[in-house]
Amino acid sequence: MNKSALSPLDEPRMSEEMGRVGLTRARLAARLASPEFSIFALAAAAFGLFALLTQGFDSPFNLFSLARSAAVNILIGLAMMSVIVSGGLDLSVGAIGVCASMASGAAMQLLGWPVAPAVIVALLVGAALGFLNGQIIARSGLHSFVVTLGTMSLFFGGMIILTRGQPFDSLPDAFSDPMRWRIGRWLSPMLPLTFVVAAALAYLYRLTDLGRGMLAVGANSQAALLSGISVRRMITLSHALAGLLAALAATLLAMRNGAAITSMAGDLGQDWLLPGFLAPILGGTALEGGRVAVWGTVFAALLVTIINSGLLLLHVGDFWVQFFLGVLLLSAVLIDHLRKHLLAKRRPSA
Amino acid sequence: MSIWRRNEAWIGLAAIDSLVFVLLGLLHPSFFSSFNIFVLLNTIALSTMIALGQMVVIAVGQMNLSLGSIGGLAAVIFAGAMQTIGLPPVLAVLLALCLGLVCGLINGFFTARIGISAFIVTLATFAAYKGINLGLTAAQPLYGIPASVKLAGSASVIGPVPWLLVPSLVITLLVWFVLARLPLGRQILAVGGNRQASELAGVSPNRIVILTHALSGVIAAAAGIMAVARLQVGQPTIGDDWLIPSFTAPIIGGAVLSGGRVGVAGTVCGVILVSLITQALVVFRVDPYYVQFALGCMILCAVGANRLRMGRRLGAG
Repeated sequence: MNKSALSPLDEPRMSEEMGRVGLTRARLAARLASPEFSIFALAAAAFGLFALLTQGFDSPFNLFSLARSAAVNILIGLAMMSVIVSGGLDLSVGAIGVCASMASGAAMQLLGWPVAPAVIVALLVGAALGFLNGQIIARSGLHSFVVTLGTMSLFFGGMIILTRGQPFDSLPDAFSDPMRWRIGRWLSPMLPLTFVVAAALAYLYRLTDLGRGMLAVGANSQAALLSGISVRRMITLSHALAGLLAALAATLLAMRNGAAITSMAGDLGQDWLLPGFLAPILGGTALEGGRVAVWGTVFAALLVTIINSGLLLLHVGDFWVQFFLGVLLLSAVLIDHLRKHLLAKRRPSA
Repeated sequence: MSIWRRNEAWIGLAAIDSLVFVLLGLLHPSFFSSFNIFVLLNTIALSTMIALGQMVVIAVGQMNLSLGSIGGLAAVIFAGAMQTIGLPPVLAVLLALCLGLVCGLINGFFTARIGISAFIVTLATFAAYKGINLGLTAAQPLYGIPASVKLAGSASVIGPVPWLLVPSLVITLLVWFVLARLPLGRQILAVGGNRQASELAGVSPNRIVILTHALSGVIAAAAGIMAVARLQVGQPTIGDDWLIPSFTAPIIGGAVLSGGRVGVAGTVCGVILVSLITQALVVFRVDPYYVQFALGCMILCAVGANRLRMGRRLGAG
């Protein structure tokens, strides 16, 4: 189309342009080969498959509920991802989420607070509990597994003592209304909201000193320390970030339920462990830390939600879904392992 | 002196256990009642299995998040085999134990042979085994438990000593014997202490890791069977709440999660302490909700104390 605009004078520039085309093509190929894209393709394939196999999978009703569940699962995955990045893990994400959501429920129901400050309370409680995790881990030098195992029981137990296990179920309508909003026929605004959160995280890890610092600590904390990064600060902040995201996930879940319930993440918040680890690991975030795949996590959480919903519509039975998700996690790690193995084998011969 | 030092952890704990026991009895005389001691020993019998199942994996520096799921699956298979096929209890026990063995072998295979971290493998099998359990039972409890099994779970051998303590004691002694007296036990601790060094010394770490996961699976299954006998029902929810206690007792007993340092005696003392405190909360009519809070505190305090002790020892050495 633009041929007429190219004068003979532009010839050198044209070759440059062609070079650039070649570059973008290589880049495109790299993008297509990236784990992010393959997980996206897998999610799309799963969507297509279930749309063909089941009735009503692509109905506006199902898409709407899919979008709402996906939003929660994505946030749980991003919460876990943000600690994995710094080389740790957080078993207490579920417990933190429930604590945060119960705090906002108490603020609305007992203190009569409006929705916005109550949600801010939830986010602050989440960030504070995560901060506490991070401080204990950073100051004691203990592994995050055992510390968050302890705080998982501590936070959840403390919350149950304070609430006596009672739900907050007479919350203002304004709290659960956003969950009923629709963009177009089926898109819950919660899904774009999580994409905004993901974009912010992608920006954090790619372009800010803070995010680069967290990644550096995850890759090699000794080296990070020697290059002047405060390892303690990075670990504390990544746990606080996880707490914040867990609180956001729990807030969306409470909005969907229309109530803050102590069992919303299972006993001790255990039910969030599987979705929490599935999304980052499927999405290509290295469990050892130092490598992050924000969009991979998002698409993987989407994939898990699609599989979950599809299996339910296939009448596989609620109970087998958990089995499939466990097998999915195992096979994902297995495939990744085989891929690395094959690459390592091929390299010396090349 | 060196022997004293090595045993320092559990002897100190045993002293604390006795102190807590006597103190609770003085504060609340019914704590010494035959019935209360029976309940306490019953709890200890089951909790010891749960803790040992985790401890053997901690010994090689790994973990088994699927412990509770294996226990739950073994429990419903045990109950289901007796209810639906009418299998005699002894065969049902064997079947459930074999199932635990297979579950453990699967964990061990993926961890050792394929080389995926035990955390991820057992997180995946935690979901998978639980999924099979719920898929088979549709979350419905199994009530067809033979009278003999019910009796084993509720009767006492003599005075306040429950029958369930017998298998628990046997397995505890076996685990102690394997870890402390057999070459296998030394190899397990060697792999946990320093994998590279143990390999150079001629131990096959892969074989040891698979064996410990298998052992953990069998012990978890035994715990599941005992839970059925105790509850008198094949509850599919058995094992759901084992995760925290399974780590608490070994950690209190001085186990280091990076491996190589575990003790059966310490773990049993840890179990006794946790059971005493849990039971005390019940006897003093403290809200049962405080149990979880207390468990969390105990884990954090225990790892902190272990850390300090290790630091002191390293500093002294």
